[in-house]
Amino acid sequence: MTILQLGIFALAAIAINRLKRNRELALLAISIFFLFWLQPAQQFVSLVFWIPFATLALIVLLWLLIAAPEARAWKINWQTILVMSAVVLLIDLNQFFGLDQIYMCTTPRLWMLGAALALVFTADIFFWRIQQPKLWLGVFFIGILLIFIYLKTPYLVTESFMLIYALRGTDAPTKIIFTWLGFSYIAFRLLHTIRDFQTGRLPALTLGEYVNYVIFFPTLVAGPIDRAERFVPELRNPVALAEQDWAEAGRRFFIGLFKKFVIADSLALISVNEILIKQVHSSAWLWLFLYMYSLRLYFDFSGYTDVAIGLARILGIRLPENFSAPYLKPNLTQFWNAWHITLTQWFRAYFFNPFTRSLRTKNFSIPIIIFITQLSTMALIGLWHGVAWNFLAWGAWHGLGLFIQNRWSEWMRGKMQTPPSPRRKLIFDSLGIFLTFNFVSLGWLFFTLPTPQSALTAIVKLFGFGL
Amino acid sequence: MTTEITSALAKQIAEKILKQPKRVISPDEPIISSGLIDSFSLMDLALFIEDTYGVRIEDTELNANTFDTLDQLANFIQARK
Repeated sequence: MTILQLGIFALAAIAINRLKRNRELALLAISIFFLFWLQPAQQFVSLVFWIPFATLALIVLLWLLIAAPEARAWKINWQTILVMSAVVLLIDLNQFFGLDQIYMCTTPRLWMLGAALALVFTADIFFWRIQQPKLWLGVFFIGILLIFIYLKTPYLVTESFMLIYALRGTDAPTKIIFTWLGFSYIAFRLLHTIRDFQTGRLPALTLGEYVNYVIFFPTLVAGPIDRAERFVPELRNPVALAEQDWAEAGRRFFIGLFKKFVIADSLALISVNEILIKQVHSSAWLWLFLYMYSLRLYFDFSGYTDVAIGLARILGIRLPENFSAPYLKPNLTQFWNAWHITLTQWFRAYFFNPFTRSLRTKNFSIPIIIFITQLSTMALIGLWHGVAWNFLAWGAWHGLGLFIQNRWSEWMRGKMQTPPSPRRKLIFDSLGIFLTFNFVSLGWLFFTLPTPQSALTAIVKLFGFGL
Repeated sequence: MTTEITSALAKQIAEKILKQPKRVISPDEPIISSGLIDSFSLMDLALFIEDTYGVRIEDTELNANTFDTLDQLANFIQARK
């Protein structure tokens, strides 16, 4: 995202904050507009409109399956339906207004939008009548996962588009561009609500609350992944902002901008990348470029999080933190308690914990359970970033690291029956921070380089071989 | 009652999880955010609580936001009983 876009986000947040009534509807309208507005260029121009449209349709249909009876009444949802339809219609009508400075996209003809809306409303009626949503929830769960896997697998995206070009009988371009803005985060919010509904933990949510939760504009592009039961109470009763809260919200917003656009973007110029690794023949410089990459990644991502938290605070919503000084943690477990916190908590809640629970109640040995659960969880976190060998290798690197650290801690605890003295603790912690930061930094090579082989080559060079 | 629960939990963590019977864990000491117990041990603690107090802690609740100290955990158990 650009500074201009984030500036417009801030103005929108302030405008909504000043509203005395209908804040929730205004937030909904703005979030929907931003969902369309931020969609990047696509291989087929029409997708710039239809992808966000499909996002909204998916959210509405899923809401019909998970909404509690008291939240489904027409009289508490009609305004939401009206606002959603009106915003989508206004965006489509831009083909007549021609406000290309605001929204530059070729929108579909009116009859096409009408047909699509009719299709969605017909599907709504069908889903509205479903009394036992178990089967359909399973279909949605698997469907969302499959879309997610498809989007994260460049091979599948390329091949599917090639097929379309072949069927059309036209020449395919050399590079396929297809992105579904924010789907990584949208999907995980949707999956969380499906699972919580299935376990009876999802609160009653109106359509407006649900859509606002899933596409809340400050968190649309880079999270954090909030939880519905935490988000919605503050949406209903936004936390009032005293003078110091405004200052805090502004501070987070501007610190976020500074971290992203000044520090991270500057570090990007001297961060390790594929070309640098081939060109540099000094391991000392390579280490420096690697450290710069580690810092850049942190400032970039945590900067976005600061911006999101600051914007949400203006809207009266306190988002969860996503980072907590991760590079100052003395071991890998604590690093993962402090890096992309909401994503790791999601995987713990919906994969690691249930998986560990199921294995723990069987007769597996503890080290085997830890090995399997840590490795599989981290492999999945790796694959969340993209279905590719390098991300899998990055996940495995951390999974193995966590397993080794766990076994080491277990062994050390047996040796040290009492906590170390403050002086020894300081030494252990300092050494731990150094080792953890270097382990994580080496892991970023798998993350940023295209193949595990290139990462291994870089690691060899870092240690002074093959220069 | 809360004190009894915190004592039992402290004993369980020190003896079974940390394997340091002499380790004193105070009721207001962070146990998750400090990294004292990791996510695997947290599940062990949850299973112990289920067996001992008949209180199930859901998989989505096993994090520092729900409880981070023995005091908070004891109150959580009391509220669920």
